[in-house]
Order: sequence, then structure tokens, then C-alpha cells
Amino acid sequence: MREVAPLPLLHVDGLTKVYRDPMTLKPFTAVDGLSFSLDRGEIFGLLGPNGAGKTTTIKLILGLGRPTRGSIRLDGRDPRDPAARRRLGYLPENPCFYDHLTAVEYLELTAALFGIDAQAGRRAGLALLERLGLAAHVRKPLRKFSKGMIQRLGLAQALLNAPTFLVLDEPMSGLDPIGRAEVKQILREERSRGTTILMSSHVLAETEPICDRVGIMSGGKLLEVGTISGLLATGVREWEISVESLPERPAAELRAAGHRVEPLGTRWLIRIAEGPALQRALKVLTQSEVFVNSVEPRRETLEEHFVRALSRGKAARS
Amino acid sequence: MIRVLAVARNTVREVVRERIVLVLAIFGAALVAASQVLSPLAMGEGKKVVTDFGLAGSSLLATLLAVFLGSSLLHKELDRRTIYAVMAKPIRRAEFLVGKFLGLWTTTGFLLAGMTLTVLAVLTVVHGETPWILFGSLLLTVMELGIVTAFVIFFSSFTTPGLTAFFTVSVIVTGNFAEQILYFGGHGDSPVLAGMTNALYWIVPHFATFNARGMVTHGIAVPPERIAFAVTYSLLYMGALLTVAGAIFERKDFR
Repeated sequence: MREVAPLPLLHVDGLTKVYRDPMTLKPFTAVDGLSFSLDRGEIFGLLGPNGAGKTTTIKLILGLGRPTRGSIRLDGRDPRDPAARRRLGYLPENPCFYDHLTAVEYLELTAALFGIDAQAGRRAGLALLERLGLAAHVRKPLRKFSKGMIQRLGLAQALLNAPTFLVLDEPMSGLDPIGRAEVKQILREERSRGTTILMSSHVLAETEPICDRVGIMSGGKLLEVGTISGLLATGVREWEISVESLPERPAAELRAAGHRVEPLGTRWLIRIAEGPALQRALKVLTQSEVFVNSVEPRRETLEEHFVRALSRGKAARS
Repeated sequence: MIRVLAVARNTVREVVRERIVLVLAIFGAALVAASQVLSPLAMGEGKKVVTDFGLAGSSLLATLLAVFLGSSLLHKELDRRTIYAVMAKPIRRAEFLVGKFLGLWTTTGFLLAGMTLTVLAVLTVVHGETPWILFGSLLLTVMELGIVTAFVIFFSSFTTPGLTAFFTVSVIVTGNFAEQILYFGGHGDSPVLAGMTNALYWIVPHFATFNARGMVTHGIAVPPERIAFAVTYSLLYMGALLTVAGAIFERKDFR
């Protein structure tokens, strides 16, 4: 019997969204021909600067807007079909919830919207408030919640229906370092449960350690998609030699050879651009009896790659 | 249905937790009580003054609440983006609108019922008479309020709070003078104007159908067939308005 590959959880094909200014009717393309798929159980990071089109893309995926062109299939369905959103959890960017309600009332409302019965919804809500460190604020009106507390409540309402697909728009926003670490831990737990996660962010350091794949957006276009290790230049960008002290003669010799020599606190750092030059530089240091602390290869970081991809995208547009 | 009721319950909470409702309830009760002050001027007709003044005042207050609080309900959801988290749940947009409508109608209906009960209490305590026929008028006014609330939701689905309030008040005024508009249109020289007033007559709700305050003030009970007609008419009208509002809202882009 032939094995059939499982359908991707999310399939976006040629997605385009054009808005028109209500006064001038001038068109503005917020999302331009996006195509990508999400496999079950992966964490996908949608990265890009502010205004890249990440939030518009997410809204279209949730059925909050109609694509101008292209299609979205969420578990094989159109996201505007409520059935497609049954096992979906969503945390909006800078979430805002009904401030006339308390935290537990809001989660009861969320449970009812998912069709969960009142008792079960209340139990699940209280358990989530406990898990997210809001147990002491169950009956506090939301208007008295801080930004970080609202963000945690946002995560609680997104997890209430034990989703198979989580969409998180800037999930780390407004959280302190402890909160961010907790959220990362929750995301890892959810992934181990088999949940697929799509998260948007412009803080790369937050996404790099948890995302399986990333897509880089700019100007409404998806510039690149792939695993972090696949996207980053696999080769070594440069070598760093760290030494305790560096006499003037070998320092001058290394500078003359085109290497960068910089003091770093009580140590010196010598940056070598190419592998073959590393051997020659080490020879100079050994001949001058300089004690070498370490020799380390430096690879491209996601941040460096991101900046490079954006400038390439900008150059292509102009 | 559980989703519609959840939205409705949330809307009731939202409206009730606005202080204006409490202020209006107190104001309404005070208005009814104040009508008692006018009764000595009515030369033995004090009971009628209390009934007429009380019922008209409570209807006006409930309508004002529906129009002015209701106009901003949907807009506030969009403006503060509370709707995003809700609409990402498995709920249809039309269900959300119906929930909002039911929540607003329930709240204004209860306010109206509360004020009518105050009228009944004043009549019982001061005049020693409990005119149960007031409930016939109350039911008709509640149905009228349903149409007003449906118009508020309908206009909110595509326009701003200010225009929603303006359009709804225009419908209320036109609907209360539907017969007169038809009469004047038909007696002019312009066939175009006659056609327009005729069309307007059939489009706008005939609010006169729901006004039985004069009858009950004179001690006449509202006939059951009139109640049956008014209830059917209003339910059909509300259904049509909410269906169109749902279709418009379904196409809306949340930016």
C-alpha cells in the first residue's frame, strides 16, 4: 500500500492583501504573494521589522480578513469556516481584553466560545491561570492588570481549548525576562504535546532558540524560508584568537597582514578572515612566545543574516 | 447557541457595568415618582397622569439607552481590538452580532420592565389600584425596543457610532410618523415624491403599532390579536435587519 504524506496543517499559496485608503482609494499592498506551509508539530517563526506584513498575514490566516488574491487552507479548510478554528489558539499582538470582566470571567467567556461547558471551562481556566502565575488575580478586573499580566492572560485564553495550532503574534512583548523564559518553556511543552506553533516576532534573540524554521518578511514579501541552520551561512565567517598580552612587534605584523587586532578588557582579540591565514597568524604569535588563550570559529548569527536579507530585499525592490 | 448566549451575557455585563445604566434606572424611577407631583393638577385624573407620564418616560429612556449606548458597542470592540481574540474562536460573525443584539435588548428590556413596575407600584400604593393591563403595553414597547436595537446593530455593522445614532433616531422619527408622511406625499403634485413616500412607508417600521400607552391609560386592555400581530411583525423585522447586518459584517476586514 502506498503511504500518503500527511497534509500540512497550514498551506498558504500566493497570499496577497491590498488595502485601499478610504479617502484617496490609493492601493497599499500589505502582503504580496506569500507562499509557505507549516508541518504538524513544528515551531515556525515569522520574522520581520515593524510594518513587514506579519500581523496582516496572521489576521488572514485566522479569517479576520479576506485575501485579495491567493488561498489559505487551515487543516484543509478555509479559515473563515468556524470549524477550521475549533482547535486553534490565538494570542493577538498587544492584546486587549474586556476590561469590565475579571480574569476568570474572561476565560469562562472564552470556554463558551469554544463550546466547552461552563464547569469544564472554569476548571481549565483556573488551572491555566495557576500555570501562568495569575492564580492570585483570578477575581481582579482586567482594567487593573499590568501589560505583562494581560500578555499571560492572552496566553491562557489561547491555550484553553488544548489547541493543535497556536498562533502567537509577538508573544514575548511586555514580558520581563522571567516571563519570557516561562513563555519559551510553555512553547516547548506545547510542541512536545504535538502542537504546531506559528509565532511572529521582531526580537530575533527570542525566536532563534525555539523555532524549527523561520520565514523572513519585509515589505509584505517573504524573502526567505528555512531552518535556522539552513539559512545561516554554514561556513566559518572568521576566526577569533584570544591572547593575554600582545607585544608591539607581532601586533604590527598581524595588522600589516590585514588582520584586525583589538583590545578586549585585559585581553587582545585578533580576527582572521580566512582559514589559511589563521595558520600564519598562529605562527607569528608562537614565534613571539605569545600565550594563546583560545582560537574560535565565528559563524553568522540570525541577526546578521536577518539584516543581510532585509538589505538584499530592499535593494531588489529599488 | 451557547456562543450567541456567551456574547449576549458579556454584552449585558458590559452595559450593566457602565454607570450610566444605574444613573438612568434611578432617573427613571425618580421620573415616575415625580409624575405623582403633577397628579393634583389633573383634577381627579392623577392616576392617568402617572400612567401616561410614567410609561412614556420609561419608553423614552430605554430607547435613548439602546441608541446611544448601543451605537458605540460594536465600534468599541473594533477600536480596542477586543473583537480579534473573539472572532479567532469558532464563532460566526452573524452569531456575534446576534449575541450583541440580544445582550443590548435584554438590558434595555429589563430597564423598561423595572420602570413599568415602578409605575405599577406607585399606582398601587398611592391610588389603591393595580392595573395589570400595563403589561400589555410593556410587551409592545419591549418589541418596539427590539426593532430599535436591531437598527442600532444594523447601522453599526457598517458605519460610525455618530452616524449609527443619527440614522437610528431618523428611523425612529420617520417610523413614528409613517402615516403622516404617506398622507402628505400622496397629496402633493409630484408623482416622484408620492412614490418615494410610499416606498418609505413600506420600508420603515410602523412604530404606532407598538404604542398602546393611550389605551391602557384609559383602562382599556390591549387586544390579544394586536399583541400577536405586533410580536410577529417585530420578530420578522428584527430577523430581516439582523440577516442583512450579518451579511455586511461577514465581509468586513478587521485591520
